[in-house]
Amino acid sequence: MARFLVRNLVSMGTTMLLVSALLFLLLEVAGGDITVRLLGVFASPEQRDSLRRQLGLDAPAWQRYLDWLVGSDWRARPLSAYPLVTTPNPQSGEAEWWAEVAGVLTRWRLVDGELTAIQRAADGTESTAPAQTVWQRAPDGSEIFWGVDIRNNLVQWQRGSDLEVLVLSEAGVRSERGGPQHYIPLRKGIVRGDAGMSLQSNRPVSATIFSRAANSLILAGAAFLLVMPLALFCGVLAGVHEGRPLDRIISITGLGFTATPEFVIGIFLILIFGIWLRWLPATAVFLTGDAILRDPKILVLPILTLMAAEFGYVARITRASMAEVMQTPYIRTAFLKGLPRQRVIFRHALRNALLAPVTVIMLQINWLIGGVIVVEVLFGIPGLGSYIYDAAIFGDFNAVAAAAMLTVSIAVLTRLAGDLLYLYLNPRIRFA
Amino acid sequence: MNSTTLSPPTQPPGLLRKLANILSILLGSRTAVTGLAVVLFWLGIGLLSLVWTPHPPNAQAFDANLPPTSTNWMGTDHLGRDIWSRVMAGTQVVLLKTRLSTDPQVVVPGGVALWGVIGAVVVGGLLGVNAGYRGGRVDQAIMQLLDALIAFPVIVLYLVIVTALGSGDVVVVLAITITGAPGVARLVRGLTLDIKTREYIRAAETRGESANYIMLREILPNARGPILVDAMLRVGYAIFAIGTLGFLGLGLPPPDPDWGSMVNDARKYIYANPIAILWPALAIATLVIGVNLFADGLREELTRYQQ
Repeated sequence: MARFLVRNLVSMGTTMLLVSALLFLLLEVAGGDITVRLLGVFASPEQRDSLRRQLGLDAPAWQRYLDWLVGSDWRARPLSAYPLVTTPNPQSGEAEWWAEVAGVLTRWRLVDGELTAIQRAADGTESTAPAQTVWQRAPDGSEIFWGVDIRNNLVQWQRGSDLEVLVLSEAGVRSERGGPQHYIPLRKGIVRGDAGMSLQSNRPVSATIFSRAANSLILAGAAFLLVMPLALFCGVLAGVHEGRPLDRIISITGLGFTATPEFVIGIFLILIFGIWLRWLPATAVFLTGDAILRDPKILVLPILTLMAAEFGYVARITRASMAEVMQTPYIRTAFLKGLPRQRVIFRHALRNALLAPVTVIMLQINWLIGGVIVVEVLFGIPGLGSYIYDAAIFGDFNAVAAAAMLTVSIAVLTRLAGDLLYLYLNPRIRFA
Repeated sequence: MNSTTLSPPTQPPGLLRKLANILSILLGSRTAVTGLAVVLFWLGIGLLSLVWTPHPPNAQAFDANLPPTSTNWMGTDHLGRDIWSRVMAGTQVVLLKTRLSTDPQVVVPGGVALWGVIGAVVVGGLLGVNAGYRGGRVDQAIMQLLDALIAFPVIVLYLVIVTALGSGDVVVVLAITITGAPGVARLVRGLTLDIKTREYIRAAETRGESANYIMLREILPNARGPILVDAMLRVGYAIFAIGTLGFLGLGLPPPDPDWGSMVNDARKYIYANPIAILWPALAIATLVIGVNLFADGLREELTRYQQ
C-alpha cells in the first residue's frame, strides 16, 4: 500500500514537472507579443524593448522557467547588499518585496534622475529620503547598485548611465534616464505558491485566482452532487432493463446529452427559460463577490447545463457496468435460488456494478473542467474557467500558466483519489 | 444476421466481398444506420453548398436580424446574411475543406475535423506502436509525456495552443492532433502489446525484418479495426471541439461561415433575434450525434462480430 502510494506520488510529481515544462514551452511561443498588448500597436520598438526588459523577458528561457517554477529570489539574494523580505501591503494585503536596510524596510525609485529611498515604518506609513546607497564598483569601472524598486523587481542601477528607460504608468509611457540597467522580477515561484504578477491587472495572480476558483467549485460541486444520484439511478435502471424501451429511452437521452456540446445545451436552456418563459436570468450578473449565496437563482441554468453534460456519460457507464454484472453467473445463481428481484439487484448486483462508474467519474474530471470553462464563458460567471479564458485571450501568460497548473493539479489529485477509492471499494485488489 | 457470410473466410476475400461484409455489419445495426443517415445528410448539404446555396453565404444582402420568412428560411443574422445559406456552407470547413491560407486562398480537400483526426491517428499511432513494441525506456518516456498531455483539461490545452499559435484552420487541425494523439497512442500501445506476442511477429523477427517493418507492416495493419472505430468517435469529438472553439471566439477565421462562430455571434443578439442561434446550434448537435451514433453502432456490431 505504502509502495503503491509512493510510486503514484513520484509519477504524479514527474507528470506535473513535465506539464509545467510543456506549458511553459507553449506559452513561450506565444509570449512574444505581450508588449504590443500592453503598450498598444503604435508603440515604438524602443518602448517595447524597454518594457520587455522591465518584465525580465530578456533573460534566457530556461532561466525564466526556473524563476517561474522555483522563484527568482535565490539568484537575486546574493546580488543584493541587503536581505530581501516579503511583507503584506497594508491596504491590499498582497505581498510586496522590500530590502531590509538596518532594520528598516526600504525600496528605491528614481525621482528627477536621483535615486530616492522609500522607507516603510513599522506602522505602515512610508517616507522618502535621499538614498544613502553604497555604490559598488563593477568590473568594467562603472558604479552599480542592486536595489528593490516599487514594482517588486530587483534592479541594477548604474550611476551616470544614459540608458533610456520607458516606464509604463497610468498616464502613459514616461521616459527615465540614468539608472536602471537590469531587472529581475522577484517572485517565489509557483511551487512555493507565488505565480507572479498578472500582466492584465498588475496584481499578484495568487491574490485573485483563489476567489475565482471558489466560484467554480460551488458551480461544479453543486452540479456534481445533483447529477450523480440521478445519473447513477438512471444508469442502474437502464442496465437492469437492458434492451427494453426504458433502457432505450435512457440510453438515447444520455447519448444525446453527451454528444451535444455544452454551449448548445446552455443556449437551448437560455432560450427556453431565460427568453421565452422568462423564469430565470439568462446571464449570471455578479453584483457582489458573494452573489452566488445572495441570489442562487443565477446559478440554476449553469448548473442545469453542467448536469446535462455529465448525466449522459455517467449514466452510460453505469448502464454498461450494470448490464455486465447482470449477465454474470453469480447473479443467475441468486435468481435461481429464488431470491426476490429487488434483493438480487440491491444486495448482490449494485455494489459490483457501481465500482466502474465511481472510478471512471474520477478520471473524467478533466472533462468536467472543460465544461465549466464553457459554461462560465456562456453565462458570464467569474470563475476559474472564465479567468483562464480571459487571460488566454489577453496573452497574460502568468495568469494562464497559474490557472492551467491549478486545473492540472486538481485533475491529477482527483485521479489519485480515484485510484485510492478503487482500492478501497474493490476487495479483490490488495497490496502485500 | 447470417452466420455463413460472417464466418472467417479461408482465403483472402476480394474487395467486393469485403465491402459487402462491411455493409452487412453496418446495416445490421439500427443505431449505425441512423447515424450514417444523419452524416450523409450533412455531407450532401455540404456538397450541395459547394455548387448552390439559396443566397451567397457571405453577402450582406438583407436587413439584419430578420425572423424566418419565405425568402430567408431561417431568417438573417446580425449582418443581414441568410442563415440557411450559412448553415449549409458551414458544413464545408468541418467536413469538406481546409484552408491552408486565406490570402491567397489555398484550400485542400477534407475538412478540419477529418485532418485533425488523421493527424491524431498518425502521431498517436506511431507513438503508441513504438512504445508498445520497443518497450523499456522508450515506452516509459513516451507514456510519461502522454500522461502529462492527458493531465491537461482538453479545453485548457486548446486555449493555450490557440493563444500560442493564433487562430486559423491549420492551428485548429494541430490542436485536435495534439489533444487527440495521447488517447490514440494509449489504444495502439495496448493493441501492440497484444499483437506483439503473436506467432507471425516471431516469424518476422526470425526472418530478420527491421523493427520499422514489423511495426508498420505487421502490427499496425492488424490493429486497424479498433483504430478505425476509435477514429470515427474522434471525428465526433473533433466536430464538438471545433464548435466549442468557434463559440469561444477562437475558431476558424471569418468571413466563411463556421457553426460555432455563428452561435457566438447570434448569442450577442439573442434578445433581438432569439431564433437565429437555434440553427447553427442544432446543426452542430445533430452532426455530432450522427457521427457518435454511427461510431457506436459500428463498434457494437464489430465486437459482436468478433465474439
